[in-house]
Amino acid sequence: MQTFSNAAAGTIVLSLADRIIENRAYLSEIDGKIGDGDHGVNMAKGFGMAAERLKGKDASLAVALDTLGTVLMTEIGGSMGPLYGVMFMEFAEKLQGVESVDAKTYSSMLHAGLAGIQSIGSAKVGDKTLIDTLVPAVEAFDAATAAGKSFSEALDALVAAAEAGRDSTLNLVAKIGRASRLGERSLGVLDAGATSCAIILKELSLGARERLQ
Amino acid sequence: MTPKALSPRKGGASRIGTTESLDVMPLRYGDDPYVWACWLYYEDGMTQGEIADAMGVSRATVNSYLADAREMGIVNISLEPARLASLTIAQELKRHFGLADCLVVPSDDNARPLIDRLGVAGAHALQKLLKSGDTLAVAWGRTILSVGEHTNIGSLQDVTVVQATGGTTASFAYTPELTASAVAQAISARCVNITAPAVVASPEMQRMLLEEPLLKEQFATLARANRIVFGISSLRPNSTIHTSGFFESVSLQQYLAKGAAGVVAGRFIDERGRPVTGPLDDRTIGISLEMLRGIGTRIAVAGGFDKVPALLAALRGGYANVLITDAATGAGILRADGVTSLDSRLSQRQKPIAAPSSYRTHVKKFLNNPNDVVEEMLDGAVKAHRKYLEPIKGSHRALVARNGPRPGKVGLVIGGGTGHEPGFLGYVGKGLADAVAIGNIFSSPPPDPIVQCAVAASGGEGVLFVYGNYAGDVMNFEMAAEIAEEQGIPIRTVLTTDDIASSPLEDKEGRRGVAGNFFIFKVAGAACDQGLTLDACEAVTRKANARTYTVGVALEPCSMPQTRRHNFEIGPEDMEIGMGIHGEPGVSRERIRTADEVVDTIMDNIFKEMKAGPGDRVAVLVNSFGATPMMELYILFRRVEQRLAAKNIAIEANWVGHYCTSLDMAGASISILHLDQQLTELLHHPCETAVLNIN
Repeated sequence: MQTFSNAAAGTIVLSLADRIIENRAYLSEIDGKIGDGDHGVNMAKGFGMAAERLKGKDASLAVALDTLGTVLMTEIGGSMGPLYGVMFMEFAEKLQGVESVDAKTYSSMLHAGLAGIQSIGSAKVGDKTLIDTLVPAVEAFDAATAAGKSFSEALDALVAAAEAGRDSTLNLVAKIGRASRLGERSLGVLDAGATSCAIILKELSLGARERLQ
Repeated sequence: MTPKALSPRKGGASRIGTTESLDVMPLRYGDDPYVWACWLYYEDGMTQGEIADAMGVSRATVNSYLADAREMGIVNISLEPARLASLTIAQELKRHFGLADCLVVPSDDNARPLIDRLGVAGAHALQKLLKSGDTLAVAWGRTILSVGEHTNIGSLQDVTVVQATGGTTASFAYTPELTASAVAQAISARCVNITAPAVVASPEMQRMLLEEPLLKEQFATLARANRIVFGISSLRPNSTIHTSGFFESVSLQQYLAKGAAGVVAGRFIDERGRPVTGPLDDRTIGISLEMLRGIGTRIAVAGGFDKVPALLAALRGGYANVLITDAATGAGILRADGVTSLDSRLSQRQKPIAAPSSYRTHVKKFLNNPNDVVEEMLDGAVKAHRKYLEPIKGSHRALVARNGPRPGKVGLVIGGGTGHEPGFLGYVGKGLADAVAIGNIFSSPPPDPIVQCAVAASGGEGVLFVYGNYAGDVMNFEMAAEIAEEQGIPIRTVLTTDDIASSPLEDKEGRRGVAGNFFIFKVAGAACDQGLTLDACEAVTRKANARTYTVGVALEPCSMPQTRRHNFEIGPEDMEIGMGIHGEPGVSRERIRTADEVVDTIMDNIFKEMKAGPGDRVAVLVNSFGATPMMELYILFRRVEQRLAAKNIAIEANWVGHYCTSLDMAGASISILHLDQQLTELLHHPCETAVLNIN
């Protein structure tokens, strides 16, 4: 059975921060089309601060995710701070004390993060939010493992579903948040949160896949 | 590529599914890209942005393709000659006589009598020029009656129509009474008639009648007129002036002998527009020439070649500043006044000058490190306003009022993102907010500084949180409220929802909080300072929120310091109604209109919800979004005052300036607080803050 070592996976969070910082301008630009255009800037700030705290610490994935979640929750504000903050803190809690992360633990981690977000936000699939990326990604991972696919294959399915979910927001009308005031005019634009969520899930899952033993 | 395949785009069809292969540009040959861009733009009705996407080039390139295509002669723009001529004459009349506006009916349309066509054109002018709250004086005559018959405006409020002269014999259809009431009916206005004859038997009778209280009242209304619509009578033999019986023919001869060239609202003028005195002057009851010239908008509707001398006299005398006439009459007036260039202008078309498309991608700003703007701004603001506030535990993200919190007083905590300066830290000080939590640009503060504010503001009687209704703020403030309650501080929250354009009335709770925060903070701060209980503070703050109405209009987008690029675009001729203070696109994008029309749109929306009656009192805030200068704010305020005055609603207090901005956005918002006794007292309660000082 494929697993990866929790202790050796903390650096995934550093590359996660790199991806977010690289996409800073892009995320702000798509946010600017139907929102206030600050998504990339705020995300980059939070992920950058977390990366600063983690550099050279040799933290486990659980500790790194907890650091990231805490920074986002307490230092960033906005709506993405609490939402992503709670997701990463829930992720971290499920990995706490786990030595080798298997597909089952990974799935429970994803579910806990999703439940955390749903506990403070009210978005559903189809509302044009990060939920449109997260929910199908989690479902695809579970479906793959249930079908007897390997952890590695399930991670690939997760990434594909996350990206498809992100793309689905192009043709959705925003129902939540500032973009929801736009009604039909939000059609044809990707949701910034769904886009950053796809970046996060992809980097996290590819990082995990690379480390599978 | 066939036109058929493209046809679904016409008529603004849905944008979904248009990214299929049909938009791929054909192979290039010579100037094909220009032709292709023109095809998509002129034939297919796509926007420049859509063409840029379809062609895979930048919007700037599309813009230059279209401009170059005009230069290269690929696109020729032609105007229908008769319509072009009438526009040319109108422009020339406007320029030559310094008119505010001029409408010339084309001469090609001979299917209908001139009087009907002038009536239709006059109706257009009224539609454009009349505003809610106006008092319109109406003179008599066939043409003006025709204007009334062709007008139908149902959207105006509080308009009064007043008859400009006394009455005449009813032996014809266009008496002063009937003309005024026809216009009044057409615009659903209140009609005030002058209940005396236009010409009375003697000067004594005129003086006595004018002393009558009823007539005094009617003349007072006439004196309030800010617009007038009138015809112009020729003194030629078969004109209405002779046939109507308005004047006795004996008297007319005396005026003619003195060089009278025309009649305006029952008064005689010579060919230069000077008043002509005569025996009827002291016996006439109606608007004087002096009164008429004092009216702001003076719309003359007249046409027919026999009226050229009379019209010219009226224009020279400055009695009209808006002219509605027909092309033949208009050209005749210009020729009669020595304008010779017109004929050559009518036969040749001026070559349009292509404006250079200079694209700016970055906005200039005073910056050091873009990532430090919030910290540097707070550093400056905290020092500038140190008289009123100070950091909590050294953090600039949580500021507390000096002498604000005290034992036994409910604490008021406000907060939100930055970019709205002087909101929200400018409202911190004694008598107003006790503490403010400050986030990043357009982004809620995290829970920690909010909790610190709650602790600092607490005087043992609980703390009230008042902030704008945005998803991020709600999440962070709710978390902070939980943490503060765990620390034994009772918290109540009032979300501000004053932006009535952000959501329909049925979803009032879902609305955004914008510049009306000013009033809501003020009321909440005063209630806390007066020592009311937490329950009472919350209740009156909710009342202030429920009675505050704001609508904003943006002209230009704002730009984020980090990107120095516009957050979104507003077209060169457009404005956006209902724009939020974070640049959230508004509810509708429209062609830009005059300041008064913009205010009217805003006030009409506010009046729809605000149940204020005559004698009620309000507070007014005209707020800049950042880039709009005081000059324009005063112009807006001027109209707000007029609209309120027309409803007999008194302004108890007003503020004009930068109170809740959106970085460098051009635009403004208008907030009205509908006062009652309690709110009035709280509004006047003393406070000492950077933005607002009431003693």
